[in-house]
Amino acid sequence: MNADPIVQIRDLTKLYRHGEIDVTALNCVSLDIAAGEFVALMGPSGSGKSTLLHIIAGVDRATSGQCIVQGTDVGTLNETELADWRNNHVGFVFQTFNLIPVLTAFENVELPLLLTSLSSSERRAHVEAALELVGLADRMRHLPRQLSGGQEQRVAIARALVTDPTLLVADEPTGNLDAHSAAEILALLQILNRTAGKTVILVTHDPKAAAYASRTLHLEKGELLNGSSQSSVVSSQ
Amino acid sequence: MTIPGFILRNAFRNKRRLMLTLLSVTLSLFLFTMLQTALRELTQPAQTDESALRVVARHKVSLGNVLPVKHQSRIERIPGVHTCMKLTWFGGIYKDPKDFFPQFAVDADKITDIFSEAQFDPQEMAAFLKDRAACVVGIKTMDRFGWKIGDKITLQGTIWPCDPQLTIRAVYRGGIDETNLFFHHEYMDELCGKPSLCGTFWIRAENAEAIPGLIQRIDETFANTDAETKTETERAFVLEFVSMIGNVKVLIGSICSVIVFTMILVTASTMSMAIRERSREIAILKAIGYDGWQIFSLILAESFGLALTGGVLGCFGAWFGTWLMFQHVNIAAVSNGMFIKFEVTPHIVVSGMLIAVVLGLVSCLAPAYSSIRMSVVTGLKELD
Repeated sequence: MNADPIVQIRDLTKLYRHGEIDVTALNCVSLDIAAGEFVALMGPSGSGKSTLLHIIAGVDRATSGQCIVQGTDVGTLNETELADWRNNHVGFVFQTFNLIPVLTAFENVELPLLLTSLSSSERRAHVEAALELVGLADRMRHLPRQLSGGQEQRVAIARALVTDPTLLVADEPTGNLDAHSAAEILALLQILNRTAGKTVILVTHDPKAAAYASRTLHLEKGELLNGSSQSSVVSSQ
Repeated sequence: MTIPGFILRNAFRNKRRLMLTLLSVTLSLFLFTMLQTALRELTQPAQTDESALRVVARHKVSLGNVLPVKHQSRIERIPGVHTCMKLTWFGGIYKDPKDFFPQFAVDADKITDIFSEAQFDPQEMAAFLKDRAACVVGIKTMDRFGWKIGDKITLQGTIWPCDPQLTIRAVYRGGIDETNLFFHHEYMDELCGKPSLCGTFWIRAENAEAIPGLIQRIDETFANTDAETKTETERAFVLEFVSMIGNVKVLIGSICSVIVFTMILVTASTMSMAIRERSREIAILKAIGYDGWQIFSLILAESFGLALTGGVLGCFGAWFGTWLMFQHVNIAAVSNGMFIKFEVTPHIVVSGMLIAVVLGLVSCLAPAYSSIRMSVVTGLKELD
């Protein structure tokens, strides 16, 4: 595992304004995540774990502090630069799969590649490789409604992987799945972390899910708790 | 998959809504095209080189007032006048009021000179000139009633107290209007017993340059008489005739504005709904790397596609529809002579398509702007 930090966060604070009241979602959070790590972010609802994930992934901005991902201070990028940066460096996996219902599995995975300069045949090769990797090579022409929840989430993971990002962020990716499908998805993320060297940041409520990570960080009331540290690494099941 | 393919998939995701919106845009632009064509027909009567040489002198008070025929000889002496012909609207009924067609009493020997763009058969015209109870009829009216040379028809006078019995001696083709019937003014004078009156004088100028001065000289000639004239070009005369049925331009313009405004509301509503339903997907697209302007372009393309398809179907449908209609329907007969050509011009089609372009842009501006402004986190929160 490469020990160089891929994510460097210093004194990160995020305030949300609700009417006249400022709500602190993150309060002076500092942490490093090494390249190739599988980190689980845990904490109760409202603890700021999703906010932290969004800032790391460049879909939200911090009120103060610094978030450097792969050497880029994401807070300094404008919206267009940020979108381009996300396309090249970050793969998203969401709780609710979020596939485009009118597109097939193949086309959903191809979506991020439409922004690149790849030719049609190159895109095809990338998409097929990504779907092969998640075990859905035989479901390429299926629409999302023709897939099970677990399969939909696999397609979402393939979509996150297809641009070959260094960083995979997953926000409660097993929240809508049964135990068996959830275990499969977590195992898949673990494989991607171990064999493909992807850095994975997983937000979860579930200690069982967090157990797949190499490190678990606990957040509470917007602060990183002391003692967040190495966790047992569960072998893929 | 390509970006256009993605746009098409999005457009077709709710087929029923798409079809209903497309239908509303198509019908609205069809209606717009037809109304603009009607407006053009009414306000810009067709003009030929020959008709541009014609001026019409009528009573200064109104068209309903008649002029003394003695004016004719004075007009003929005015410099610049080539020919001056009496022309009086007869407005009779043939069998039934719904069988309307325009009928005029004219100086029979001058008709070919005044309406020189129409094609008359010399032998038929010779027969027409010989017979005081003869008439010459436009080919469209001949076809409409299935008449042939030699047929006898009776017109029941509604304005003039006589019922001329006419024999069709000649047919004319071409010219601006092929629906008219012309008969001898002398015959009407004889039947009605009012030989000294006529409705208008139709004058052919020697050349187009002479017309402005000619108009002025004619009106000056009869100034301060008991029957002052108002002389104008044929085109102005026809437009004035149209204005008698109201301010058609404002009326049709208002209807067109309402159509366009309603169309924008309907399409904007559809686009808003379509984009609102997709706000989560827009957030996902942003998360995977699409920026605001790329999303805006996708929405704009979809809106343009919808509006332009409606525009093509509506405007070109109207164009093709009127062409097809002309193959089977006598528009002049159906419209009681109000419309002669009813031609959808390229200018009208382009206007319709420009409206479609504006529609495509305006209807998506607000929802597209909202989607650009929406942050990914806001969109993602809507998911959960």
